[in-house]
Amino acid sequence: MKAVATAHVAVHNDVGLVPYVSEGPALLAGIADGPGLAAHRRRLGPSPTPSAEALVEIARAVDLRGRGGAGFPFAIKLAAAARRKAVVVVNASEGEPASHKDAALITCSPHLVLDGAAAVAHALGTREVHIALPSEFPAIRLLVEKALRERAAAGERLRVQLHDAASRFVAGQAQAVLQLLAGRENLPVTAWQPEAVSGHRGRPTLLSNAETFAHIGYLAGVGPQGYAAHGTADEPGTTLLTLRGDGMDPEVREVAYGTPLTDVLDEIEMTRPLLLGGYHGTWLKPAQLRGLAISRNDIAAAGATLGAGVMLPLAEGWCPLVRTAALVDYLAGQSAGRCGPCRNGLPAMAEALGALVHGGGPVRRVEELCGLVVRRGACAHPDGTARLVTSMLQRFPEEVDSHSLGTCRHSREGALV
Amino acid sequence: MSEHQMRVDWPACKAHGICAELLPEVISLDEWGYPIVHEPVKGDVLAMARRTVKACPTLALRLTQPPPRHA
Repeated sequence: MKAVATAHVAVHNDVGLVPYVSEGPALLAGIADGPGLAAHRRRLGPSPTPSAEALVEIARAVDLRGRGGAGFPFAIKLAAAARRKAVVVVNASEGEPASHKDAALITCSPHLVLDGAAAVAHALGTREVHIALPSEFPAIRLLVEKALRERAAAGERLRVQLHDAASRFVAGQAQAVLQLLAGRENLPVTAWQPEAVSGHRGRPTLLSNAETFAHIGYLAGVGPQGYAAHGTADEPGTTLLTLRGDGMDPEVREVAYGTPLTDVLDEIEMTRPLLLGGYHGTWLKPAQLRGLAISRNDIAAAGATLGAGVMLPLAEGWCPLVRTAALVDYLAGQSAGRCGPCRNGLPAMAEALGALVHGGGPVRRVEELCGLVVRRGACAHPDGTARLVTSMLQRFPEEVDSHSLGTCRHSREGALV
Repeated sequence: MSEHQMRVDWPACKAHGICAELLPEVISLDEWGYPIVHEPVKGDVLAMARRTVKACPTLALRLTQPPPRHA
């Protein structure tokens, strides 16, 4: 593996949501030179203009996956959207509260994301590009506008329509973003077809996460061989991680696939339960962390997914059940309240989990509610919440027992989450 | 005989419960009155499933063919 400079660049992005972004091997290389267009062009050359066929081929060659959480193969999505009147949508709204990677990208390397959007628009033969931004962080929009002005001044005008996504968990979901673009309420609706088939106003729509577009920009610039200089033979390239994204010292790091987890977490964190993939993610026990690498395959073998790259080690002294109960309270409050099973099931789940954690309520009721909400909503919010809770029951049976008996050794009931 | 799937437009569904009355072979109701789709719609109940779709007061049901299998 290549040695990577991990010295903190200490990039503050005006709003203080990403205290530290580390210099990385590919997307975040050279960020100490600032986010300007001239420095970006010196690093990566002109904005790439691939054909659809070429872009599908190189995306397939490196098995590029979407970075919004689902990990869908980008080449398949692009091939499906490569029809007349296509639309490109960059989703930088980052609804997951513990993820800051998209904000870090816009802050440190906005032109890489815009190169990716321009490359995909060129490949699809369209001029219609939209970017969904997080309304709770207005500085992100200002940074995108500044980058677009820079491009226009340099004779590289990219016409983009900007949209401000609502500051709630489900507003960043793909169908909710399409609703926002159409001028309707920024909430999920039922998708009868994938958005690549029928998306914005029924047109083929390539909607992907901002990091995915940054990878496209980088990949189209350096080529598949250059891209595969990092990572493993099975999983070429790099991925962005947000570490401790809802804690006191959040950090965004870019690591090559295959990087050992010990390079990412410190010694104490390696002995703690890890919530991997964010609030919709999966708990892993400390014993599962040993020998684990940042690898889709390794992490899948451990029964989890990397999701959007969020890593939340449980702080010392905390009980994973108490933490999960607090998260489910939050997630229940984030339901849009439109789909019956979610509107009813998530508050019931929060209540049942609270009863289990604080008063020895029945595990059976928690399991029953997890089963009742899965695949029964317009978006995956209930599924993600059930995944979090199910992984808690699977990974921490001893803690579940001790809560049932009221003898948990390490819960901090009074502490704030 | 090809199987169909009963799908629910969840934001549209308002828990009237008529679907479970008309098509108990496929649909039951959860504790809040929302439909639980148990199984695919097979040939012998297909006609009734089509009537159930039309009978939903909020037009929240659709019969779909299973998605094409990827290689």
